[in-house]
Amino acid sequence: MESYGRKRTGTPMTVAATPLTPETERKVGEIGATDVLVGIPSYNNVDTIGHVVRAVSAGLAKYFARSRAVLVNSDGGSSDGTAEAVARAVVDLGTLLISEQQSPLHKIITPYHGIPGKGSAFRTIFEIARRLKARACAVVDSDLRSITPEWIELLIRPVLEEGYDYVAPYYLRHKYDGTITNNIVYPLTRALYGQRIRQPIGGDFGFSGRLAEHYLEKHVWESDVARFGIDIWMTTEAIASGARVCQSFLGAKIHNPKDPAADLSAMLVQVMGAVFALMEEQQFVWVEVKGSNPVKLFGFQYDVGVEPVNVNVDRMISSFRQGLADLEPIWRQMLAPDTVEGLLRLKDCPLQAFRIPDELWARLIYDVAVSYHQRVMPREHLLKAFTPLYLGRTATFVLETQGLTSHEAEGRIEFLCQAFEDRKPYLVERWKAPLS
Amino acid sequence: MKEFWEKALLAPLETLSRNVLAVLPNVLAMSIILLVGLVAAWSIGHVVERLLRVIGLDLLSNRLGVSAALARGGVKTDPSHLVGRTAYWLVVAFAIMAGLGALNLQPLNQFAQSFLAYLPRLFTAALILVVGYLLSNFVSQAVLIAAVNAGIPPARIVAACSRWGVQLVAVAMALEQLGIAQNIVTEGFGIVLGGVVLAGAIAFGLGAKDLAKEFLERRLGNKPRDRAPDDLRHL
Repeated sequence: MESYGRKRTGTPMTVAATPLTPETERKVGEIGATDVLVGIPSYNNVDTIGHVVRAVSAGLAKYFARSRAVLVNSDGGSSDGTAEAVARAVVDLGTLLISEQQSPLHKIITPYHGIPGKGSAFRTIFEIARRLKARACAVVDSDLRSITPEWIELLIRPVLEEGYDYVAPYYLRHKYDGTITNNIVYPLTRALYGQRIRQPIGGDFGFSGRLAEHYLEKHVWESDVARFGIDIWMTTEAIASGARVCQSFLGAKIHNPKDPAADLSAMLVQVMGAVFALMEEQQFVWVEVKGSNPVKLFGFQYDVGVEPVNVNVDRMISSFRQGLADLEPIWRQMLAPDTVEGLLRLKDCPLQAFRIPDELWARLIYDVAVSYHQRVMPREHLLKAFTPLYLGRTATFVLETQGLTSHEAEGRIEFLCQAFEDRKPYLVERWKAPLS
Repeated sequence: MKEFWEKALLAPLETLSRNVLAVLPNVLAMSIILLVGLVAAWSIGHVVERLLRVIGLDLLSNRLGVSAALARGGVKTDPSHLVGRTAYWLVVAFAIMAGLGALNLQPLNQFAQSFLAYLPRLFTAALILVVGYLLSNFVSQAVLIAAVNAGIPPARIVAACSRWGVQLVAVAMALEQLGIAQNIVTEGFGIVLGGVVLAGAIAFGLGAKDLAKEFLERRLGNKPRDRAPDDLRHL
């Protein structure tokens, strides 16, 4: 399959078909073809997946009543009865005032093959979409508590009726939700690829059947993409291949609580490693891009008040300062001298005056990307040594946005994005420079 | 008088000249071997150095911290030159051994054989030291980063301990390989390591039993952390 107008990047095609279980093969054969397909990857999500399946079923019944529809649950070997919960979940259309008859919703509950991870689960969903010749698809997380039937419409209709290939989610989030996205992933992907996709690692996406086929053709299914980097990979690959991208406003995203203090550095290794690996793969695309363009946003937008949240700025700053004291030699290896000098100025400044300015942060992220590219040290060390820097920047963001609404805080993120775009020539120059 | 002249003076001279004539080809052979060896050593050293420069050994050494370690040890030359010089002196040593062997003198032959038999051990010991050094750098860097991220104040001390621990193991293994005081090294190392582990266990048991309890409860019982986490969601 050819790409969407832009030159092809990455590894070429000719990929073997993804294996499906005989039971799934049989089911796919029975169904034959579909218009719409919604995939739900899962692993031990018995508590929440029933709600997700009901929301998806209601969404398909309400908004795509005349379309043939398939729901695919791609499971990683759950032992808690997730598959049974999917099979059991039914929605009473009468109570939802959905009276129109629709073609029956087919459910495929299948285990996936390959490396354990969300990416492998998606691969099976893409393969089923390809075999059923689905026109439009969506994937939603199985631990969602806030999903409504409207999500399905918002993720699928732009593909079916507006000709878009990729629909990224746009969530209503607290200003302190998604600090990695706000301070790193969004500004960086926007500056690199020139598209203002606000939640590039959102987790719930809509896409066309042909984009699913394009994803399948890529040789990434034995890499980290199969484990944890699938979200950013899908977004980046969609942009880089020239697909038409848009966003849909889905409202709040509430999902099963995870321990927020779970290993932050491991999280950074996964997210930043995936972003930087894609920078290497797509370097011939992003080096040419200048500035950025707004991306069409569908859906009814609204705002809510900001409730106070607990943020321990002191602890973040002390973590940054410990990094400055103990990791300085490592930081000197991974950052440019000017960047390190900028950080050293923060050594003794008073708490309330502590700031890592936007310009310095943009340069710092670019330095880390270049060091990752040039392998100046083991990559895992590089990304883990970044943790105190990230905490320093997060403290800056909290201090700068205290008392601001989420909407006003969004203005601060816009300034940051501008700093990333303004300093992109610095990245390109360092990226292309020969190793020294 | 004539007899005395022949027996006392001419005979030793004749014997000496016979001996000299017998040894002369060996000396000549030794000279040729040394000369060829020196030329070969110069060529090999030069080629090795150039080759290593081309494949980027210096760059790799910079990244692995080997160059910095050499500089700390007072070695100002780059690793390619150092390896080239090592190759040169190895070939020179072989040439000298071969040259001495050409003299066909029993004590020298024995010495050369012993030296050649010892060379593999020397090489293995050197390799153990180099690998141990690189591993100690890697481990101490990983420990330092992990300790800082965990907010452990003496992070650098912990990292230094891990570095010296790995290097100590490497030195003990190298000495054992060289056959130097094998028993003392092995037992000494065992005693030191056992002492360190025991001291650590006692210190941890007395000073951090609550921390250990919380850690184990969290790991084994999926108990959440007691300290209030930030409400921040990073992703």
